Amino acid sequence: MVEAIAVASGKGGTGKTTATLALGMALAADGYDVTVVDADTGLANLLFHADLDDAPVTLHDLLLGDADVAVADATYDRFGMRVVPCGTDLGDFEAADPDRLADVVAELAADADVLLLDSPAALGSKSAVLPIVLADRVVVVLQPTIPALSDGLKVHEYAGAYGTDTAGVLYNRVHDPADVDAVRGQTERYFDAPVLAGVPAADVVRDARSAGEPLLAHAPESAAADAFRDAAASLDPDDRDEAAVADRFASAVVPDRG
Amino acid sequence: MKLPRGAVVAARVADDHEVALRTAHEERLTGYLVLEPSATLLLDEDGAGVLTVADGVPVLASHTGTGRGGADALADLAGPGPVKVERRAVDASALADVHDADGADALAVAPGEPARVLTGDRDLAAAARERAPSDHPGRDATADPLASFLADDERIAALREDAREEAKRRADEWGFADELD
Repeated sequence: MVEAIAVASGKGGTGKTTATLALGMALAADGYDVTVVDADTGLANLLFHADLDDAPVTLHDLLLGDADVAVADATYDRFGMRVVPCGTDLGDFEAADPDRLADVVAELAADADVLLLDSPAALGSKSAVLPIVLADRVVVVLQPTIPALSDGLKVHEYAGAYGTDTAGVLYNRVHDPADVDAVRGQTERYFDAPVLAGVPAADVVRDARSAGEPLLAHAPESAAADAFRDAAASLDPDDRDEAAVADRFASAVVPDRG
Repeated sequence: MKLPRGAVVAARVADDHEVALRTAHEERLTGYLVLEPSATLLLDEDGAGVLTVADGVPVLASHTGTGRGGADALADLAGPGPVKVERRAVDASALADVHDADGADALAVAPGEPARVLTGDRDLAAAARERAPSDHPGRDATADPLASFLADDERIAALREDAREEAKRRADEWGFADELD
């Protein structure tokens, strides 16, 4: 049983990939089997963060390549999670055989409690919106600025339109906790979801990226890591039917044939 | 706010407000910025934001469309994505007269606020605060533009409605129609 959770922002530069891997590691530490699927077209980002920049086999190979490639070949054990590099953008998987796509996702989902989808930053293309369509819930990563909030609200509305719930808002790269406290109530009202955390801006986040490690591996004792762990603890992943998740992937990605 | 026309330094489209504010800061512009985001967050799409800057430091904000000033004007001139920016240079003493005029204090913004709420760039915000003179009229301003933005239920409702409609249109375009709630 699995729940698919998309981590999205609507705007670049919010630290979404850092957040995805941090939430994944925190959930894994809490005993969940976590699979992170890189659904971001700028995928070099996640791969770099997870020390996977030269992954030989990706989801792309699994769906469109040699039939002999097994799901296990495209999943990599990293930092207590399984990481699946995408290899291209999800929209390109329209060429995939829908049955194969459904099988692959079902197999990924069967071994996971949580499928975390690291989503592209903007909502400008089909492949960018797909993770939000496919997920059961979305975590919206924001900075406490007006443009980021308006973009985040847009993600929330897209999610709602596609029947995806908003799990919560994660304020990231926060310089002053008062900035979040000042807008917490209104944020929760508009998003109809809790503020999961206000993650402080910190040099360790940049250091972790430079080191090619997720924050929770690089600086587990940092205040930022603590905040991500608090956020993950309140996510409380749900048990969903993996076949339903797989069917949704197949029908949304390949709508005409799914 | 009555501003001298001044001389156009540049008029171009910047990637976002951060570029606009940083450029003014770095070139220590004395004059004002006229800011028109490509995607406005206003219900009424008319008008532009005007932000005066002295030695690159933001001083007064107003919006020609909403007629609001100060923190409210910063909320009105925000917008995601590219922004049309005109930078105008004004003689320092003429600008000082504008800043000293009756009613100007109501338009004053704290020097770091534009960077904080429009860009999240704390370094730029801190640099503006540091450079601001002790008699900056917004030095003690406490109104929060972010709170002003979120307090406008009607505007937020309209933004949400627009996004919901866009999501539905695109669902048809991209073949997600079956996934619509």
